[in-house]
Amino acid sequence: MTFQELILSLHRYWANQGCVLHQPYDLEMGAGTFHPATFLRALGPEPWGAAYPQPCRRPTDGRYGENPNRLQHYYQYQVVLKPSPDNIQSLYLGSLAHLGINPKQHDIRFIQDDWESPTLGAWGLGWEVRLDGMEITQFTYFQEIGGIELNPITVELTYGTERIAMYLQEVDSVFDLAWSDTIAYGDIHHETEVQCSKYNFEEADISMLTATFQAFESECKRLLARGLTVPAYDYCIKTSHLFNLLDARGAISVAERTEYIARVRALARQCAENYLSERQTQGFPLLKPQGQSRSKPKGKALVKS
Amino acid sequence: MVHPKKKPLAYPSVAGEPPPAELLLEIGTEELPYQFIPPALRALGDSAAQLLKEYRLSHGAVRALGTPRRLVLVIASLASRQTVTVKETMGPSKSHSFDTAGQPTKAAIGFAGSQSVAVKDLEIRQTPKGEYVFAVKREPGYPTHKLLSDILPSLIEQLSFPKSMRWNESGMRFARPVRWLLALYGGKVVKFQVGGVQADDRTWGHRFLAFDKSKTNQWVRVNDFMSYVKVLERHGVIPDQEQRRTMILSQLTRLTHSVRGDLHRDDDLLEQAIYTVEYPHAILGTFDPQYLTLPKAILMSAMKEHQGFFSVMRREGSLLPKFISVTNMKLEDMRLIREGNERVLVARLADAKFFFEEDRRIKLAERVEKLKGVIFHQKVGTQHQRTNRIVLLSTKFAGMLGGDQLITTCRRAAELSKADLLTGIVGEFPSLQGEMGGEYARHDGESEAVSLAIAEQYLPRAMEGELPKTLEGKILSLADRVDTIVAFFHVGVVPTGSEDPFGLRRHASAVVRILVEGNLWLNLSEAVRHAKELVQAQGLSAVPHSKGSSEPLDFIAERLRHYGRTVHGLRDDVMESVLKLATKRPFVLSDLLSRMKALQAITARPEFDPLMVGFKRAHRLVQKEKWSRDVINPELVQHPVEKELINVLSEVEPRVQTMMAKSEYAKALEELVRLKPVIDQFFVGVLVNADNPALRENRLSMLYKVDVLFRQFADFSHIVVQGT
Repeated sequence: MTFQELILSLHRYWANQGCVLHQPYDLEMGAGTFHPATFLRALGPEPWGAAYPQPCRRPTDGRYGENPNRLQHYYQYQVVLKPSPDNIQSLYLGSLAHLGINPKQHDIRFIQDDWESPTLGAWGLGWEVRLDGMEITQFTYFQEIGGIELNPITVELTYGTERIAMYLQEVDSVFDLAWSDTIAYGDIHHETEVQCSKYNFEEADISMLTATFQAFESECKRLLARGLTVPAYDYCIKTSHLFNLLDARGAISVAERTEYIARVRALARQCAENYLSERQTQGFPLLKPQGQSRSKPKGKALVKS
Repeated sequence: MVHPKKKPLAYPSVAGEPPPAELLLEIGTEELPYQFIPPALRALGDSAAQLLKEYRLSHGAVRALGTPRRLVLVIASLASRQTVTVKETMGPSKSHSFDTAGQPTKAAIGFAGSQSVAVKDLEIRQTPKGEYVFAVKREPGYPTHKLLSDILPSLIEQLSFPKSMRWNESGMRFARPVRWLLALYGGKVVKFQVGGVQADDRTWGHRFLAFDKSKTNQWVRVNDFMSYVKVLERHGVIPDQEQRRTMILSQLTRLTHSVRGDLHRDDDLLEQAIYTVEYPHAILGTFDPQYLTLPKAILMSAMKEHQGFFSVMRREGSLLPKFISVTNMKLEDMRLIREGNERVLVARLADAKFFFEEDRRIKLAERVEKLKGVIFHQKVGTQHQRTNRIVLLSTKFAGMLGGDQLITTCRRAAELSKADLLTGIVGEFPSLQGEMGGEYARHDGESEAVSLAIAEQYLPRAMEGELPKTLEGKILSLADRVDTIVAFFHVGVVPTGSEDPFGLRRHASAVVRILVEGNLWLNLSEAVRHAKELVQAQGLSAVPHSKGSSEPLDFIAERLRHYGRTVHGLRDDVMESVLKLATKRPFVLSDLLSRMKALQAITARPEFDPLMVGFKRAHRLVQKEKWSRDVINPELVQHPVEKELINVLSEVEPRVQTMMAKSEYAKALEELVRLKPVIDQFFVGVLVNADNPALRENRLSMLYKVDVLFRQFADFSHIVVQGT
């Protein structure tokens, strides 16, 4: 199974479970959780189900393309379901079977791994799913997002697409993965790893990044004050990425770190609060019976709970 | 005096009353964190017994079993009905309760009201003290089956976990979602609902494994514990943790022996294996021998911490390029699973090798400056500040315990002690801190003594862990811990109740063990004073202690008490009497403990308690008069018992001094015991409070000398004696 088939296969599986096939968000982010389809949609009572691949940037994880397992840019496949279905573990295992990983021929384990994102003011409990000892998925029942206690609970599945593909293709280096039948992962991403690692660790202009962080933070606050939550949240995402860049560049001392994280969290919290109250004002549109919904989903209903 | 009492009465056997029966409860969950399971099972058994007691339900053995997906409670012979109780409470006497006309008095009415019975139902009983009024309440016995519908939900809801979550609209909190409930009493379903789940008679097998043709992941009906265990085994689940333990241990032994190796016994890993699988099946994997060039500790951490693998040793103690993974699957062909595990480990080892090689390019000494960027704790400063304090403190301690050579070694070890926190390996495996420091120090060309001290600085890691072997390691460990305790106390972060986020109690216990078991003659009060000065000199902002919180020295003394109690079985009063005086002297823990042990040994002697009676009498008189003169006028000595006391005192005193100086505490106590007859005779023979003030003063001075002599050893006034 090529890398692109893997994503297609997950798309098909989760679409069949009634998920909206969202697209990657067009901003740099450290995890698929930042995507508004997760961060904002997890808030409030409206039912929701979405699946999407998300390119993720983790500047500190760059290894100049020299380490077969570490990348500063990689792809998560993200599934969120609200409310969390009772049979979610079986649904998840079904998705593995769909990828050709027969759970009856492997040792699949749910190992405790509690998730927390200090920048998003979010946490949840769950597992890392291990396939014959290798971590392939993060499985989390969100409890809080942006400091807001969730009800109903959203469950988040984050597949490590490269890991799974490496397992399926039996290759030891991510760069050797077959992206398609003719193109390797390395053909597409090796040079980006080399150049971006050099940028992240050596070239990024610290004073420009610091100034931009401040400018974006102000812009986010200004937009929040004007009731423009969605663009405000974009700026919140951007500050988080700038922080990651500064961190990789070694420009942030330990004491400052805490302060930066607190600043991003303050933005995220405010975005979450504003979003929730806006949806409330709109009467939580997705709560309406399906017939009245503007976008009428065809085919199967949302995952049964 | 007749106390109100509960008198259980056997319920008169009703025709058709069912006999006691078995209760089986299974809480089916998504995978619980393995560390949560043993405490949850203990709590489940304990609160079940507690609840059944409250409900007056007699029962047989209580068992709690569990896997990551189920918590199981089995109670044998649970009575089918509550015990009927009759509670009788004694009230006022008959004469107080009824007037001459036989009408109830206010006392009777009030008593009946307080017991919520009607006045007319009060009963009069004969007691040894005469006739009294009794309130008699009968509590009827309800059938168990009905009660269980209340008991079981509260039992489940009472379970608490270090971290819990919500997952559905029921709002219930549990460690992980509850997905099914099996509840059978005498083979019948107990009806109740918890967390949106209805109890019934079905359980679920292993997710992927079944020894019945491919019937995986299906529910199965059961009717009692026997059938439950059998059915589960067929469906790939061993619910009994002890059975899993036995299976794992025998698999581990078989596999290690197959490669003529020895298992590295690791109880943490064993617990983890037991509670992360429903069906244990251990496999042996191999890794490239090229990684054996890495230090053993790194290899073992990579196997243990990331993957939960056991290491396999050669007989002589070095590692074999093998590992054992306890899987939750049993297939005829384990090749795929084994290869998967091997691949993951190799990626880990490759990472570790990379870090290890990178780390050695920079000397520890060059890293020290960078510790300025590593916060130890917001209020306690950076690791660099700590390093500076630990350097000065270790130097001080070394000076108290040895010569120049020791001082030089300890200073160097302390300077480098925290530098390994900045290495890649310690970043990856924090538990290797210290050990890697030692490894890198040796590589940098530091002396063996310095390297060993750095490697041993965090010992003992657990309460009962191994102590540093070298004196330098002990000193560094002491300096680190004394500084930690003192610094946190200084900024007002003091353990309270069960709250001890920085493990200060563990540090204090380590200080006690190192000093006592290492028999180090270190004056702890001086050590703590130095530590305080250093913390103050760095200008850490002090937070005044809240009321009732103790000083670092008291805090450590408290751990000494705990140690004496648990390790040496010392009596609290014995320890108290020794500690009470210790604060005025050099506070040397090993010395204090020897005194306590000697004192406790002598308390067993028959003449000891009477001696204490005499001593305490002397002590009280001296205290009462606030007497502090020890000059005795021989001319005023009238009675032979006085003379005898003075003679024996003058003999005993210098001997006690000598023996105390040589730490011969048992002998010194023997000498004190010799005073018993003369003290007793003294009190029989003379009156201390004589009419003649001169005589009285002279006698008080004699007693004062006795008091002073005893108090050289301990404050015996704290000793608890039978009958005083």
